Amino acid sequence: MRGHGFLLANHVPGNSLLHRAPLWAKFVLVAGCGAASFLIVDWLASAVVFAVMCGLFLLSGAGVRRLLRALWLMAPVLLFIGLFQWWQLGGPTAARIVLNVLVCVVAASVLTATTPVQDLLDGVAGLARPFRRFGADPERFALTIAVMLRSIPFIAGTFADVRDSARARGLERNPRALVLPVFISTVAYARQTGDALAARGLGDADDAIDDAEPEATTAGT
Amino acid sequence: MIELRDVSVRVIVDGQDAPKTLLDGIDLDLTERRIGVIGANGSGKSTLLRLLNGLVLPSEGSVRVNGAGTLEHVRKVRSQVGFVFTDPLSQLVMPTGREDVELSLRRTVKSAAGRAARAEAVLDRFGLLHLADQSIYELSGGERQLLSLAAVLAVDPTVLVLDEPSTLLDLRNRELLRHTVAGLPQQVVMSTHDLELVLDMDRVLVVDNTRIVFDGGPAAAVEHYRALCAASFEDVP
Repeated sequence: MRGHGFLLANHVPGNSLLHRAPLWAKFVLVAGCGAASFLIVDWLASAVVFAVMCGLFLLSGAGVRRLLRALWLMAPVLLFIGLFQWWQLGGPTAARIVLNVLVCVVAASVLTATTPVQDLLDGVAGLARPFRRFGADPERFALTIAVMLRSIPFIAGTFADVRDSARARGLERNPRALVLPVFISTVAYARQTGDALAARGLGDADDAIDDAEPEATTAGT
Repeated sequence: MIELRDVSVRVIVDGQDAPKTLLDGIDLDLTERRIGVIGANGSGKSTLLRLLNGLVLPSEGSVRVNGAGTLEHVRKVRSQVGFVFTDPLSQLVMPTGREDVELSLRRTVKSAAGRAARAEAVLDRFGLLHLADQSIYELSGGERQLLSLAAVLAVDPTVLVLDEPSTLLDLRNRELLRHTVAGLPQQVVMSTHDLELVLDMDRVLVVDNTRIVFDGGPAAAVEHYRALCAASFEDVP
């Protein structure tokens, strides 16, 4: 199974300003870019923000190749969206929408490239901690992020494998031959991941670090 | 000490009135250090192994690990029983080995620095430190299987369950796995189709058609299994 096609850049060790920046600041950056993608109405402004984000990414030392790879993986989807929007709403709107999506992808890549995953999980768990009084489990929030980060390359790899299989059988033009196997593999993968996490005791009820005494047991699932 | 008392596992299958039996009437005390489980595909081997970690719960009877029942204390059981799957890629959740071992430790080690130090020590113990920051997709099958073993053993379980761990490995990596498992202090319960691996075991269970049909030494178990397979061909023209 191919699994290298990760939309967001993996963590790249380093000591850049972005590596040293506090996690909350990087969260704000990503959230700000997400909000800006709704607020910016001029494609030129989107282009400027995109250029700034690319500059930030390169400043982190993650390199041009990782940046291009993240963008390249989005290319087929963005091409489709861009053409559709150009047909429906014209060139400037299509350019703005595509650039805004790219801004979000690069901002998220800045976060993942400059933050070790464990720090990211600790940050997410920390952000979710106030919701504990409402019954939420912060560790489960963190685990959800971990599983999401892991699942994206798997699904991308599965799609590449299925596409090759369809080509080998002369079925590359049949959408069912592409979509159904990816769907079935993804569901099977979700079940396997659930089993694997359960087997390691991750994500069990009340599985917070604070009450992580091995002796502390709760009723079974 | 693992105890299975009159355990049966039945599941509801769509379109069938009666539940399907996956395991029937299993009564075992597992005390040996190395226990093998062999049998044909679909015989119930994986279900038997999954019972030990609470991944599958008994429909009837009980499973207890060091006194803790899987129905009542599944968290405690899972903290004691590590489980290694056939395909390490379905088990490894994080992008790199270091991150995956650290994920295992989140339940038991509170500080990030403590997790990092412990993960480094575990990876070093398995000779995987130089691969710690590589993508799991860049590792060989054997390295991935060793990594999944390391991630499970990082939390010091007392029992290690391996479900056909050598199926996807070449000869060299199979030997690496065999050597590593042989040196572990944990009680090991392993299912496999590799009859050579079974010979390393102290006790071997042969599972056939939802029941344990043989329980004894490895050589006799392999002989019984071969006879069982040969008998299944007698009706084939």
